[in-house]
Amino acid sequence: MSSSTEKDDMSRRSFLAAGTGLFTSIWVAAEWPGIAAAAHHADDAAASPTPVGFSYFSPADAADVEAIGAQIVPSGATPGAREAHAIYFLDRTFATYFAAGAPEYSKGLADFQSKFHAAYPQAASFAAADADTQIAFLKTVDHTPFFETTRMLTILGMFTSPKYSGNYQGAGWKLMGFVDQHAFTPPFGYYDREYTGFVPYSPEKAS
Amino acid sequence: MTAKKFKPGEMVDFVVVGSGAAGGVMARELSQAGFSVLVFEQGPRLGAADFEHDEFKYWFLSGITVSPKISPQTFRKTPDAVATQTPGNQPALYARLVGGSSNHYTANFWRFHEIDFNERSVLGGIPGTAFADWPISYQELEPYYTKVEWEVGVSGLAYASPFDPPRSKPYPMPPLPVKSSGVLLEKGARALGLHPFPAPMAIASEPFRGRPSCVHCGFCMGFGCEARAKSSSLYTMIPEAEATGLCEVRSGSYVYHVDTNPKGRTTGVHYFDAGKRSHFQPARAVVLSANGAETSRLLLNSTSNRFPHGLANSSGVVGKHLMFNQGAAVHAVFEHELNEYKSVQVTRILHDFYLSDPKRGFYGGGGIDARMNPQPAIWAMSEGGELPRWGAEYKARLEAFPRSMVSAGHSTSLPLESNSVSIDPSLKDAWGIPAIRVTYKDHPDDLAFARFLQDRSYEIMQAAGAQKIWRDEVAENTGGVHLLGTCRMGDDPKSSVVDKFHRTHDVPNLFICDGSSFVTSGRGQPTMTIQALAFRAADHIGRFAKANEI
Repeated sequence: MSSSTEKDDMSRRSFLAAGTGLFTSIWVAAEWPGIAAAAHHADDAAASPTPVGFSYFSPADAADVEAIGAQIVPSGATPGAREAHAIYFLDRTFATYFAAGAPEYSKGLADFQSKFHAAYPQAASFAAADADTQIAFLKTVDHTPFFETTRMLTILGMFTSPKYSGNYQGAGWKLMGFVDQHAFTPPFGYYDREYTGFVPYSPEKAS
Repeated sequence: MTAKKFKPGEMVDFVVVGSGAAGGVMARELSQAGFSVLVFEQGPRLGAADFEHDEFKYWFLSGITVSPKISPQTFRKTPDAVATQTPGNQPALYARLVGGSSNHYTANFWRFHEIDFNERSVLGGIPGTAFADWPISYQELEPYYTKVEWEVGVSGLAYASPFDPPRSKPYPMPPLPVKSSGVLLEKGARALGLHPFPAPMAIASEPFRGRPSCVHCGFCMGFGCEARAKSSSLYTMIPEAEATGLCEVRSGSYVYHVDTNPKGRTTGVHYFDAGKRSHFQPARAVVLSANGAETSRLLLNSTSNRFPHGLANSSGVVGKHLMFNQGAAVHAVFEHELNEYKSVQVTRILHDFYLSDPKRGFYGGGGIDARMNPQPAIWAMSEGGELPRWGAEYKARLEAFPRSMVSAGHSTSLPLESNSVSIDPSLKDAWGIPAIRVTYKDHPDDLAFARFLQDRSYEIMQAAGAQKIWRDEVAENTGGVHLLGTCRMGDDPKSSVVDKFHRTHDVPNLFICDGSSFVTSGRGQPTMTIQALAFRAADHIGRFAKANEI
C-alpha cells in the first residue's frame, strides 16, 4: 500500500455509491451477468452444506474453473479461493438457482478452454499449466463475460455465508479480517480507542 | 390488550395502506386517538428472530425487498424512451414486510432545516424545474420532529452542529459510541475548519421504551435489526398501535384499487389476500402510506368514470417530480485497523455544505458522513479505476478491509416533471396488476453538486491522513430507495395532489402521507421528515374526524 495518497481514480463501474444509490448501483452494474435476476429464484432450500462432489461441473471443468478462481484470489499466507471452496458455490449456482444460465456459462468455459489450448498447445489444460502461464493467459481474457461471471461468482463464493456452499469454514472472512459475530463492544478499532469525547463548537449552545 | 381482528367486510374508521415509516405512525396515532384502524401490508410479518446476517440473501435474493420476480418494474431515462426491465434492477426499491423500509434503512435521522421548506423563495426559481416552497414551515413541523425523536427513538447530541435548526427538546438518548471512521472524519474535517458532529440515528444507544440498546452487530443498512434496537415501525409504532385494541395490521394483503362512489368519495379498498383472493374492505376514510412509488401506482391504477386519469389526479401530477436524492462517496484506507464492519453505519456527519451557494454556479446542498464499508462480498466487488481486480494485488486490497472506510455525500435532487412513477403500458405483476415504470434523469446541477461534495470528502480523508483514497463514480441515478415527491403537497389543486394537511384536493376522505408528499428532496435523509409529517398529518386528520369534517 502506498504511503501517500495515490492517483485520483474515478471508478469505471460503481458497485458502491453513497446513500440512495447504494442499493441500486449494486444491481445495475453492467457486467453483472444475469445472476441477480436468476438468483431471485433461489430460496433457502437452495442453500445447504458443502456438497460432496459436483452436480454441474465435470471434474476437468471444475479443475479449470477452480484454477481460474485460484488466480483471482490466490492462496498464500491467508486463504484464497481454493481454500474457500468457491468452486462449490459456482457449482451450486449452475446446478440450482441459475440453471438457466448454465448453457451460456458452459459455452463460455468451452471457448476459454479452446482459446487456451490454441495459445498453449503443449499444456494439458488450464488447470495443469504453471502459474505464470495461467496469469499470462488470464490477462488476455480478463474482460470477457465468462471471466467476469467467474470473478463475480468466485467473490460471492468466497465472501457470502458458508451456507451457500462457499466460504468454507469462513476462509474468505478470515482473509478479509471480517469477524462474523452477533455483538461487539467499543472500542471497535484503533482510532476510536483514544478518543476523548466530542468537543462542542459553541459551549453556550451545547447540551 | 390483544391486537384487534376485524370481521370480513366490517366497516372501519380508517384504512391505512402501508405499514412503514409513515403508515406505522398513522396507525399508532389514529388508533390511540380512538379510531378503528385497519392497516394493509402487502408483505409478510417477520420478527427479530427472522432476520439474518446473510449478505447474499438480502442484497442478491430480495430477502426482504420488493422482488422483481413477483413485482417487476421498468426503467427509462426519458419520457420518449421505451422502458425496459434490467435484470435484477428494481428502480424503486423498498422493503416489503410489516414495518416497510423502516426495517432496512440505515437509520440516519437528520431533521430538515428551515431552508428546505422555503428555498424557492430564498433562491428564486430554477428554469425547467418545479422547484417550489412547501406550504408548511420548519416551525410548524418542529414539534413533530421532537415527537419522532422521543416516541420513535433517536440518539443524538442536540446543538452539536452550529448549523442545526432550532429544537424544542434535546434528544432522548445520547449518541451511539463513535467509531474509528467517525474519529477520522472528525479529525480531517476539524483540520479543515469544518464542523463534524455526532450523527443522529434512529437506533437506541441505551434501553428505550422497552427495547434494548444496539449490540453493534454491524448489519443495519439493508438488513432487519436482530436486536430490536433500530427504531423501525415494526418495533415501535406498530406494537403500540396494536396495543390500543383498535388496530389490526393485516399482512400478506395487497391493496390494488381504491374505490370511490358517484359523489367522489372513497368507500374503501380492494385487496388480494395471501391466497390471491380479492376482497373489498369498507372504510370511512383511507390513508395511503404505501411509499412514493406504490402510492402513485395505486392512485394511477384506481381509475373510474369519474377519475379516468387515476384517483386524486385532476392536477395530472400524481407520480411526477420523483426525487431520489444524489450523492457520491470516496473510499479511504488508513494505516491502522478501523474494523468498520462493527456497529452502526454512521457516527459522525457534517452540514457545512447544507446551503446552496449561487457562487458555485449550480444549485445543491447536502451533508457528508463517515460510514462503514459495505459487507465483505459487496466490498470485494467494488471497483475503481486502476484498482486491481484479481491476482495478488487484488488480494492485498481485500486484506485492507479492516483498515478502510467510506466518506459519503448526500445531496439534493431537483423536482422535474419528466422524472416520474407511471404505469407500464404492458408489464403486469404476479397478481395481474399493471406494474411500476420509473422515468428518471438527474438534473445537471444535482450531479455537479454531488461531485462538489465528493471533492470535499476527498479533502477530508486527505486531511485525516488516509494512505489511499479512491472515488466512486458520480453517476446518473437508475433507481433509488428514497421515493420522494410523487404526490406533492401544495395549496394549489392545479399543481399539487394533497393540501397542507395531506388531504387530497380531489377526494375529501382520502389522505396521503409518505415520501410522496415532499415538495423538495431535502439533503438525502428523508425518513425523519416522513415520520414528522405523519405525526402532524395524523394530528390534523384525527381532529377533522372528530369534528365530522371528513
